[in-house]
Amino acid sequence: MNTVTPTRATRTDPRLVTLVLRLGAPALALVAAFAITSLVLVLAGDPVGEVWSTILSVPETRNLANIINNATVLYLSGVAVAIGFRMNLFNIGVDGQYRTAAFVAAVVAGEAWLPGFLNTLLALMAAMAVGAAWAGIAGVLRATRGVSEVISTIMLNFISISVVAYLLRKAAVAEPGSNSLNTKEVPEGSRIPNLSIGDGPSTEVYGFVVIAALVGLAYWFMLNRTRFGFDLRATGQSSTAAIASGISVKKMTISAMLISGAVAGLVGMPILFGSSFTYGSTFQPGLGFAGIAIALLGRNHPIGIALGALLFAFLDEQSNPLQILVGVSPDIVNITQGVIVLTVVVSYELVRRYGVRLEQHAVARALAAEPAGRRDTSEKEVSA
Amino acid sequence: MSSSAPAPVSDSTDPAAVAVRLRGIGKRFPGVIANDDINIDVRRGTIHAVVGENGAGKSTLMKILYGVQRPDAGTIEINGEVVSLGSPADAIKAGVGMVFQHFMLADNLTVLENVVLGAEKQHGIGGAARREIARISEAYGLDIEPDRLVEDLGVGARQRVEILKVLFRGARVLILDEPTAVLVPQEVDELFDNLRELKSEGLSVIFISHKLDEVLAVADEITVIRRGTTVRTVDPAGTTARQLAELMVGSELPSPSTETSTVTDEVLLSVQHLGLPSPEGRPLLEDITFDIHRGEVLGIAGVEGNGQAELVEAIMGMRSGATGSIVLADKDLSGLSTRERRESGVGYVPADRQRHGLLLDSPLWENRVLGHQNRPPSARHGLIDKQAARSDTERIIAEYDVRTPGPDVLARALSGGNQQKLIVGREMSGDPILLIAAHPTRGVDVGAQAAIWTHIKNARRRGLAVLLISADLDELIGLSDRIEVILRGRFVATFDPHDLTPPRLGSAMTGAGEDA
Repeated sequence: MNTVTPTRATRTDPRLVTLVLRLGAPALALVAAFAITSLVLVLAGDPVGEVWSTILSVPETRNLANIINNATVLYLSGVAVAIGFRMNLFNIGVDGQYRTAAFVAAVVAGEAWLPGFLNTLLALMAAMAVGAAWAGIAGVLRATRGVSEVISTIMLNFISISVVAYLLRKAAVAEPGSNSLNTKEVPEGSRIPNLSIGDGPSTEVYGFVVIAALVGLAYWFMLNRTRFGFDLRATGQSSTAAIASGISVKKMTISAMLISGAVAGLVGMPILFGSSFTYGSTFQPGLGFAGIAIALLGRNHPIGIALGALLFAFLDEQSNPLQILVGVSPDIVNITQGVIVLTVVVSYELVRRYGVRLEQHAVARALAAEPAGRRDTSEKEVSA
Repeated sequence: MSSSAPAPVSDSTDPAAVAVRLRGIGKRFPGVIANDDINIDVRRGTIHAVVGENGAGKSTLMKILYGVQRPDAGTIEINGEVVSLGSPADAIKAGVGMVFQHFMLADNLTVLENVVLGAEKQHGIGGAARREIARISEAYGLDIEPDRLVEDLGVGARQRVEILKVLFRGARVLILDEPTAVLVPQEVDELFDNLRELKSEGLSVIFISHKLDEVLAVADEITVIRRGTTVRTVDPAGTTARQLAELMVGSELPSPSTETSTVTDEVLLSVQHLGLPSPEGRPLLEDITFDIHRGEVLGIAGVEGNGQAELVEAIMGMRSGATGSIVLADKDLSGLSTRERRESGVGYVPADRQRHGLLLDSPLWENRVLGHQNRPPSARHGLIDKQAARSDTERIIAEYDVRTPGPDVLARALSGGNQQKLIVGREMSGDPILLIAAHPTRGVDVGAQAAIWTHIKNARRRGLAVLLISADLDELIGLSDRIEVILRGRFVATFDPHDLTPPRLGSAMTGAGEDA
């Protein structure tokens, strides 16, 4: 009886406004980040215009392939972090988790105990299991001893660097004429074929991009459709309400860390099965930290994270020729990326608060618009 | 110094005697008139109560007086001078201070540090400030030691620290927003003594509340606000709580008392020797034994902090380490998780609805799912059924009169009373056989209170066992079929509510004549 249709129009209003703002907020944050980066360039006496025209030029197919490849990796990292964020867990350890997982997967795939894609599958399972186990340590510590997952995952990052370096020395095969250490190569039949997006050399993207998209879909489905996802979001929003409703927060903490770690375990897989085919001392570092920024930028939403990953990959790729073309260090985009994260966090929070205010007013208005007689006559009913 | 006797007429017209004069205050929000033509005179050296239901406009009015919001219309005079308050800093400068309902203290700092925080210019942060705190504490009987850690203080003492903070900043007019909501009866009395001390020193206190007995006990004048405007200012001497409440609601009032007994012989909930050891010293609960029959309301009375919260949480399975047995309809709950207990037929209305009952930033339909994630209509095969949950939320909205435009509104946007009605509706919708209601009407307006009482009475009539915990003694006596008094984690007395008065119950709660 309260959900009468006339109120519907007044209700959708603030939602629409908030939606527009939500889309506008990251755009505004981007503009602010570009402005601050420009300021840094001006202060350093670098050619601002040329830097931006280089970065914002239309990428060639070859660069586009690189952007998509890099974004695939960053996307998985972002999703891994986002799973933790939805539970109010700050998994800083994605870096250590993907590194350890990639090493183990490379060893498994290199040994080729199973033929063809079965070998791939086994290696992927191993990667997810190792990532989950590595993150699970932090989850168990948090659930049973109350150790902050921020601290424990940072520590586990350092441990993983040392452990992997140590084990790599044992597992590596010596290549004549090279002093880099690498695991055995993944056999041809177990590699994930690349997809071509154009003519010419290096215009291929990782076949893993499909798997990454499926991971995103699974993340969305789990979060929004399943009971487990509901429990996860509820616990993230209010652990006290979660406990009272019968959710076991300890179990959720451990599960969330396990899942986050399992996805983190996949982060290095596109590289392993698409380009490097081996884990070595030069395996791409730092992907876990980029994932934190991307999850924040994408608001933990599967599509938002994808856009964030593409943006970061775009900036990375486009800044590569800066040194050669305009004599500016490509590291300048790190400033842009850092500022984006800061401005985006601020603008999202502002939009959120504004949205809540709008909604409260809309509710008050909708209730005030109800027939006045209803309120006056009924003794039970009182204004909101 | 004025007393509770009616002041001479000349006093109220004499501008010198008026500390705060509000004339024609109006404030609109988009689509809502929060305040409209508010007129209040607060005389110096008096306690002036402002009463009204939730949403009547009290909070907006006080925010205007404290400079948090600017009025659209009207004037504020303080000590005869028209002032413009653009921020709390302006208000403090004008001598107006506010003590909020939710304390704003840093637990890990000392009283001294909390008091000087943000007011370092006044008396420094060292010896001078410490002496000033001691002086204020002495002068107004606040009994505050400057070097205690705030986390070691009880609720009452924290509130006195808040009052001291305001006095330290030189306030001559104190606004107290629902100050008794967090206090137990004795603390309320102590607070009132402090307030009387303040007014005897010539300070003015604006006391916002909807607990009418308290208002009548302490105020010198009472202004009733209804739907954003001042209805009347009355003298407490010639006014009853009922008359005040009727002014607030604008109509006749409901009462909590139940009709004929529906108690049966069939035991639904049987709690035997329930104990909850505490790592430090005295157990939180000790040898609690009781039965609740089908159709019976068992009320638990006690001064807050004597084990009520622990009792509820032990029954809900939210506390580990509980001993003894809890049997609900022949099913032993003792080893079960909170979720399993809920699914065995327990509905739970928690004491703190915002922390334990709701996901404030989620839509109402998701709040409907909360606690029912495993059961239809919320879920099927491990998946959340949004359509079914939404339509069931609409049912609750209609049946429990939740004032909202629809089920997609965020829970945060609803008023406290409507949030509570939603929770009651949700907890009744899993076909429970036991309803645990902890302070079900705390902080809700009179209208929602009456509605919630009706729902509890209906639950009783439908044959549920109801465990009711409340600090509102009228509510306890009115709704319960039997009352147990809890003191220091033990049941110390049993009462039949039919021949029980609040004072008798109150003295049993403090242990007077029991095991003092």
